Amino acid sequence: MTAADLLQSILASLPEIVVVTGACILLILGQFVRKGQEHFLVWASVAIVLIAAVGTLMLASEVRPAYTGMFIADRFAAFFKVVFYLATVLTFLLSPKYADVEGIGSSEYYVLLLFALSGMMIMASATDLLSIYVGLELMVLCTYVLTGYLRQQRRSNEAALKYVILGAVSTGIFLYGVSLVYGLTGTTQLDGMAAAAAGDPLDPGLLLAVVFIVAGLVFKVGAVPFHMWVPDVYEGAPTTVTAFMSVGPKAAAFAVILRVFLNPLVAATDVWIVVAVVAVVTMALGSFVALVQDNFKRLLAYSSIAHAGFAIFGVVAGGADGIASVMLYLLIYTFMNLGIFGIVIMMRNGNISGEVIEDYSGFAKPHPGLALLMLLYLFSLAGIPPTAGFFAKFYVLVALVERGFVILAVIAVLLSAVAAYFYIRIVMVIYMREPGRAFDPALTPLVRAALAFTAAGTIGIGLFPAWFLRLAQQSVFGG
Amino acid sequence: MGFPLLSLIVFTPAAGAAFLIFLRSDNAMRWTALAVTVIDLALCILMLARFDTATHAMQFTETRPWVPALGITYALGIDGISALFVFLTGLLGWICVLASWVAIDRKVKEFMISLLVMQALMLGVFCALDLFLFYVFWEATLIPMYLIIGVWGGEGRVYAAFKFFLYTLAGSLLFLIGVIVLYFHGGETFDILALTAQDLPFQVQAWLFFAFLIAFAVKVPMVPVHTWLPDAHVQAPTAGSIILAGVLLKMGAYGFLRFSLPMLPEASVHYSTLMLVLSALAIVYGGLLALAQDDLKKLVAYSSISHMGFVTLGIFALNFRGLEGGILQMFNHGVTTGALFLFVGLIYERTHTRSMADYGGLMKAAPVYTTFLALFTLSSMALPGTNSFVGELLVLSGGFAANLAVGAAAVLGALLGAAYLLGMYRKVALGPASVGARFKIRDVNAREMTAILPLAVFVLWVGLYPKPFLNIIDASVKHLLAQVHAKGGGQ
Repeated sequence: MTAADLLQSILASLPEIVVVTGACILLILGQFVRKGQEHFLVWASVAIVLIAAVGTLMLASEVRPAYTGMFIADRFAAFFKVVFYLATVLTFLLSPKYADVEGIGSSEYYVLLLFALSGMMIMASATDLLSIYVGLELMVLCTYVLTGYLRQQRRSNEAALKYVILGAVSTGIFLYGVSLVYGLTGTTQLDGMAAAAAGDPLDPGLLLAVVFIVAGLVFKVGAVPFHMWVPDVYEGAPTTVTAFMSVGPKAAAFAVILRVFLNPLVAATDVWIVVAVVAVVTMALGSFVALVQDNFKRLLAYSSIAHAGFAIFGVVAGGADGIASVMLYLLIYTFMNLGIFGIVIMMRNGNISGEVIEDYSGFAKPHPGLALLMLLYLFSLAGIPPTAGFFAKFYVLVALVERGFVILAVIAVLLSAVAAYFYIRIVMVIYMREPGRAFDPALTPLVRAALAFTAAGTIGIGLFPAWFLRLAQQSVFGG
Repeated sequence: MGFPLLSLIVFTPAAGAAFLIFLRSDNAMRWTALAVTVIDLALCILMLARFDTATHAMQFTETRPWVPALGITYALGIDGISALFVFLTGLLGWICVLASWVAIDRKVKEFMISLLVMQALMLGVFCALDLFLFYVFWEATLIPMYLIIGVWGGEGRVYAAFKFFLYTLAGSLLFLIGVIVLYFHGGETFDILALTAQDLPFQVQAWLFFAFLIAFAVKVPMVPVHTWLPDAHVQAPTAGSIILAGVLLKMGAYGFLRFSLPMLPEASVHYSTLMLVLSALAIVYGGLLALAQDDLKKLVAYSSISHMGFVTLGIFALNFRGLEGGILQMFNHGVTTGALFLFVGLIYERTHTRSMADYGGLMKAAPVYTTFLALFTLSSMALPGTNSFVGELLVLSGGFAANLAVGAAAVLGALLGAAYLLGMYRKVALGPASVGARFKIRDVNAREMTAILPLAVFVLWVGLYPKPFLNIIDASVKHLLAQVHAKGGGQ
């Protein structure tokens, strides 16, 4: 590797370097932040992310391969990084008050989120199974710790432990698949793999390897049959971390899935049948089990499983529209899901946990504005026009029908009709019951800003999807 | 392109709803909502005045790109068929506001906003010339309607709201898939006129026909997917019932007219007998159910099923008289049933009971009320001289021409209609003022009269001189029939 190459590589990975360096500096500076000055941490973290965002946008103009084929800075990665930045910044905005209430306000919290962000960014840019692995581990190790951040609560500890053990197993499975691929093709680079095994794509060994890799990745998005950890972890983790995990790491896993699955080699192995089955079963399980949840966080956990299922339909469709549909879906999902989580986080104040759906009975009476926002997020999650959630689903369906998967499209919409029930049930609780007690939402200016921003995204993309759609279509790799 | 009259009609209520957010006093909201709906009605009348009845082409068209990457445009335009329903929606809008003047006493702001948003969306449905836009309007109506039933409804409102929401959602999602399939068959466009000009293979038409049928049949509603309707109607507040019966049900039948018939002509002709049988079933079954009701609102609700059966019967008779009658009957049903729900609401506000057993001899206590009730009851059973007579006669003559047995069943349904409606009137208005005497019933006041009178005018106007109304739809119906029979064969 010549010095010029190295320089190019550093340039291509500048945003990652900014985030990692910033996180390290913040780790040190954080020791000097006195109690009551935690806002400095928030602003510093947001500033780091914004600097990285500027870097990403400036680099997005051309495709920059780096580190001898391990890493690439292309528009596809840039799109996903923007989603990560959004998710991270919104999480930062939602965090301070919640951290205050729960007593978890310390600099490590923000540092860990930044490290998780850098892991996600590496995943989006990785073009080698090993660099994927590095990014993946960096991300999940941070989320393991964040899940157990409520040290005093058994629920949080239990969730973290479950997550670590199951996560380690899934990573092991993934690595095993990688080792098989290396044995069969002599390379772990995604491009190299396709060239090396051009001979026989239906080699049973290769199929086995692909299935292992799929299993490892599908675990991260919480798809059936590797979904068991999702409800427990989502329920146990601090709500801000749950909000972050439901969008950021999930989007990162989808970035990897898209890169790996749509690799010509993998695409030739009929693995899409497996993926289609996974999509149907995931969506069905998420939708049906969510029907009987009383805990808001568990309900959102199952809802996120169902949404992952819907996004996987886009992966099944494949092609430029399929990829773009998944990307757009994740962008929109970030807005609406962080919106509804923002509400749940906001409700955590005093002795109200905000985690039981019944806590929201009659919420619309004293707080019509906030109730209207909830209505917006929930109908968007249910996929009712004119919200963004509808357009996200619509585009996935278009991609499916374009490829001739009409039956899958029918299954997808029927299951989303099932899912609509539990979203509108919450609308019912907030609008059609009488309030049983006083509400005291922790509505700080930062939370306000986060809610306003997510609401603008949820309705704005719904009404004017053209620009975002074009952005997603232009960011599809290789096309 | 010129002056965007249709956009103005569609978005005036929406702008009014946005304005309401900033108001504080309940009365100011009521008056504002009334003003907005009256302005909207004025715009609708302006539209009708400038409407050219000689052509079947779309008028007042507006087109703007919306999502160019997928060929989605913001396109509005109306022909004779949609013009009638735009007007009907405008006509019922302000009556709904008047009907909820005192009936809605809590969360007035939210209610009026829902009502205005609802009106904007329904107008959008009838004006849309782009399938995607149509679907957005169509599906978005679920949100305000869900709230109107669920928040301001009666005892079992939550159950009714859920049932309404899930039924219609499940139905329209298959329609969505049908729309997307149509999009790819029609050369990646959502333009309704371009899609209408397509020739699709029969197999595709058949699948799409049933996908569309599920969505539209739930909305109409046709037997056997009608079961959401009685619940929704009975639980909804008066204004909600008027919207449901007056406009929402028409959206289903409008879907048949705008999509199934012109886009899938072969399938429509092929399956017309099935549709006729289902319609006849709805007429008779709805009538029988209405006969067995004691609850006034339920009775009117089931009569709606029966009457909408006449509408679909007329449409799928696929001949000129049937179609004209069906469309006119949609308008009539909106006026008459809207009025009947208004009347049930008025009396319920006074007595808080809807059971017919509690009434009797109302004639003495409220003579004006009962007189007008008589008018609308007679209109609902299609007495000559009232609006429904014209519509039903046309439908029946079209129906007999299409299928003798179905026509006969429809006549039976009309007889049933006379039976349950006259029975209702007898129990409520006539006889000794037995139980009814314990209520201190005052007659209609000026505000209520303002809501009733225009509807009464239309009952008689259409009944005695239907020509202007038939003129509006004439050219479009002829064109539609030509489209169906040119490609679909038959006749």
